[in-house]
Amino acid sequence: MVETTKKRNRVFNYFCQDEQFAGGVAWCAGCPMELIARLTPKVLGKNMIFVGTPGCAAPVLHGQNIGAWHRMAYLASVMTGVPSKATGLSRYYNRIGQDATVVCFTGDGCATDVGFQPLSGAAERQEKFIYLAYDNEGYMNTGNQRSSATQIGAATTTTPVGKIGKGKSNAQKNMPMIMLMHKPTYMATATVSHLEDFIKKLQKAKEKSKEGFVYLHLFSPCPVGWRIDSSKVIEVCREAVRTNYFPLWEAENGKPRITVNVANPKPILEFTKLMRKYSHLKEDGLAELQKQVDERYALLKTLVNAGT
Amino acid sequence: MVSAQKGQVRVITGNATGAYGAMLCRPDVIAAYPITPQSEIAEQLAQFKADGVIDSEFVEVEGENSAMNVVLAASVAGGRVFTATSSYGLVFMYDALQETSGFRAPVVMVNANRETPGIHAVSSGQQDMISARDAGWVQIITENDQEILDQIIMAYMLAEDNDILLPVMVNYDGFYLSYLAEAVEIYQIEDVDKFLAPLKKQSPRQKLVPGVSQGCGTHGMEMGYVEARYKHTQAMERVKNKVDEIDKKFGDYFGRYYGGQIEEYRTDDADIIIIASGSATGTARTVIDAKREQGIKVGLIKLRLFRPFPAERLIQALKGKKAIGVIDRSICFGWKYGPICMELKVLTQELGSVPILSYIDGLANLDITIPHIGRVVDEVNEAAKGKPYQDVTWIPMEE
Repeated sequence: MVETTKKRNRVFNYFCQDEQFAGGVAWCAGCPMELIARLTPKVLGKNMIFVGTPGCAAPVLHGQNIGAWHRMAYLASVMTGVPSKATGLSRYYNRIGQDATVVCFTGDGCATDVGFQPLSGAAERQEKFIYLAYDNEGYMNTGNQRSSATQIGAATTTTPVGKIGKGKSNAQKNMPMIMLMHKPTYMATATVSHLEDFIKKLQKAKEKSKEGFVYLHLFSPCPVGWRIDSSKVIEVCREAVRTNYFPLWEAENGKPRITVNVANPKPILEFTKLMRKYSHLKEDGLAELQKQVDERYALLKTLVNAGT
Repeated sequence: MVSAQKGQVRVITGNATGAYGAMLCRPDVIAAYPITPQSEIAEQLAQFKADGVIDSEFVEVEGENSAMNVVLAASVAGGRVFTATSSYGLVFMYDALQETSGFRAPVVMVNANRETPGIHAVSSGQQDMISARDAGWVQIITENDQEILDQIIMAYMLAEDNDILLPVMVNYDGFYLSYLAEAVEIYQIEDVDKFLAPLKKQSPRQKLVPGVSQGCGTHGMEMGYVEARYKHTQAMERVKNKVDEIDKKFGDYFGRYYGGQIEEYRTDDADIIIIASGSATGTARTVIDAKREQGIKVGLIKLRLFRPFPAERLIQALKGKKAIGVIDRSICFGWKYGPICMELKVLTQELGSVPILSYIDGLANLDITIPHIGRVVDEVNEAAKGKPYQDVTWIPMEE
């Protein structure tokens, strides 16, 4: 009991800024993205400016047939223009000496698919802002269609399971690794089951975004699309870390470092059994998924070891 | 305001002129992606930056879509911005073009006209600009290098006026003017500062400031959307007179007048009128003079403002004329007439049942020649006499 209180205080100590969102907002019950969105300005301060797109975040970040549900400045964009708009903002604010933390807040569909080109361009130019991608592995706002962040075997409405169909046939695009190869000033993966880890990374992101490009890849399982019980979402995040499905790491100037070590990773079934997204997978499907997870982790490990 | 000092005369290309025009207006943020035939602007601006001639933020973007998004956001934040493109580049920024006008961001862009998708064509034509005519931008067509420079300065005056707040696209014929070196008077930058100074005396426009609870690009709620669209079209209407006013102010100060929305040449006593735009109007003037000597009472209208369409000025200039010929350097899918001709036909009620002849010429780098325009004048003249005429003619297809 004592230990729990101590831990809680430690996390809450990071929240030096006011809550910027309304008490009740139009996001689904149990959505980790809501936590991500709420926590971000609490850590970064109210001089942050959101650049967002149509997507799960849109109804609250810029309103959808209603006003926005927060009191920060924001610039809404179509999905092709987010990092470029952030570039325009940060360049101009820097020029006039305006204190600003420009944060792109998009889903994986924008980051890995249709909005990837400008993201890659801004990273290469080391533009001074934070790109935060909440990864729910698909187009959840439009009803659970696949994106290139959808993992192999996953059932979505455009990779359905049927007589022939076995879910998504290609492996997930390894987005954090792709961004690492851009050598951003700072990048990290994080999720809401490991709050202190996430918040420390947000703090570092703010500091490092004064020097160059910052990319944050945040695991955000979708209770609706993945068919997870709303009360189990944090557990899913935790199991994703413990199975190495979503390892937590960071990299400064292209040098990766694992921030949460998992001594004995659990088999992938411990993660997949918590949702219906993978419930159709038989032994071979699970083996294929395990292989993808292991391969990705091995690659990360190799790079981590090479850097030290 | 007395008149400006004499500027420095240099022989430079249309592209270089575009870069000089931008430089003189001191943009805060420039983003440009190279594309034929515009690349020299991006290069020249980068060189200005490298030489310390400009202190603008210069963003070497990875594509045109990003170029427009960068300048759009910097404009929304309160900056003066510049970009340049052409053809497929303009097409690639189409979503951002619509956002820019929808956000009422006073972006100024130069577009070196070039043919556009469908058939790959690295050649001149106004199809790119025509394809973007419903993007909500002000579109102005220029005729020569000096006019490019002057129009860029006037474009900032127009775009940033609080009554307007719309993005402005300054067009010139790619290849023809891009690479044509002409003598251009480059004004003293202090004089351009003085000319644009009234913009600073306006009440400051709305800006996106961090820490202030406000958004840009929010979802349009039913009536909110309608109201924004209504105000956008109202601002478009105001552009017309504003273009004439700015032209007058510019001429009074720098000594060059362009007629505002349209330039009329020997139209007063003319029976028939030829309408042309861009670099072909120089050739057209020569033809008009020659035909006048032959006794044909023909005049020329150079269309400068394409969006918004200068309906009132055209009605005034065309009222009572016996026949009109319109030369288009682009086509209009779904109508057989050229786009400018098609727009003109909307004015049929005001102009009466006068013959309007549509000519398609100068596509894909084909020259609009003196004989071509001579033929147009002759045919329009015959139509004015009540003779039967062909309402659409693709001149190159009949040669």
